Amino acid sequence: MICPDAIDAAILADYWLSLLTASEEENVELHLFECDLCASRLREVIALADGIRNLARSGSLRMILSEAFLDQVAADDVRIRKYSVPAGGAVECTVTAGDDLLVARLMANCTNAARVDLSLCDERGIEQVRMPDIPLQPGASHLIYHESITFAKAMPSNKMIARLIAFDEAGSETLISEYAFNHTRSMPGPAAW
Amino acid sequence: MEIELNDSELAQQIASGSSQEVEAELFSRMAPRIRLYGLRHLWDSHAADDLTQQVIITTLEALRSGRLKEHDKLASFVLGTCRMTALDLRRNAHRQERLLQQFGVSLLTPAEPHTPSLDHDRLTRCVQHLKERERTAVVMTFYNEQTGAEVAGFLGVSEANLRVIRHRAIHQLRQCMGVSL
Repeated sequence: MICPDAIDAAILADYWLSLLTASEEENVELHLFECDLCASRLREVIALADGIRNLARSGSLRMILSEAFLDQVAADDVRIRKYSVPAGGAVECTVTAGDDLLVARLMANCTNAARVDLSLCDERGIEQVRMPDIPLQPGASHLIYHESITFAKAMPSNKMIARLIAFDEAGSETLISEYAFNHTRSMPGPAAW
Repeated sequence: MEIELNDSELAQQIASGSSQEVEAELFSRMAPRIRLYGLRHLWDSHAADDLTQQVIITTLEALRSGRLKEHDKLASFVLGTCRMTALDLRRNAHRQERLLQQFGVSLLTPAEPHTPSLDHDRLTRCVQHLKERERTAVVMTFYNEQTGAEVAGFLGVSEANLRVIRHRAIHQLRQCMGVSL
């Protein structure tokens, strides 16, 4: 089966999300009533959308989120464990079997940075993961870091250091602030990785 | 029996008094398309099933009675009927019962189109491999259908830029998942 006017999957995603104009939507819908190939592609997009939604609910992603998004998730009866850490501060933290999501509100002033990276380090300060060019809401006094709950539930007691690193236009690095997470394991499991 | 007619020819056959087999073929072709429309506009699988039944009934009725004369416009007719019926479904839940009594339910069991299965672990890896802004954009967009303006505002980009970011991420995810999910 071949469709000479196949609709791009990203356009189908926009259709599914109601992000097309009325005339674009009409064209897509008429095509979908004539083309099973594109309808099948739309089903793939729907499956992808459902998969991403389930993934977000499962808390297994490591990412930066907005405050508004967190409010929406909380309204869906998702149990969120939250920590707020001041710039240069430390927090005693844990995660329990009943937690669905784990977030840390990192207080920081990133207004003058062209780009900001979040560096996750072990207790010796050696970088383990870097999240380059993280999204930052303009003018915000903090960012919300969402840690994978799957990872956190498996993690033994340890210390993790998070660093926010700014890049200027010339590309030179500056430490904005550092945050220490003293994690105590409260679920059964191994004492070390 | 396999029926090798296009949609227009199928409509022509029904209009000229065909067998129930031909009508069943029309149902098997159109029902998944109507159901998709229903899922998109009614956001409920039961409502989408109701829409499917009612639109099929209306379409068969129009073909049998000769009201739909231009058979090559079948898709347009079905789409227009979907729109009106979706509006009607929101307003009047009783109509479905009356139509079902009139036509019976034997032909009208909603079709279950093939739903692609998803490898959760692979999707996790694919989403995690996206760039930070792309990951945030797709998760925030798909989780609760947040508007483009909300997500763009958070990312500090225009809605047009957000669209580029989202499209790139969707293409990357499809490629990472092996295109066909």
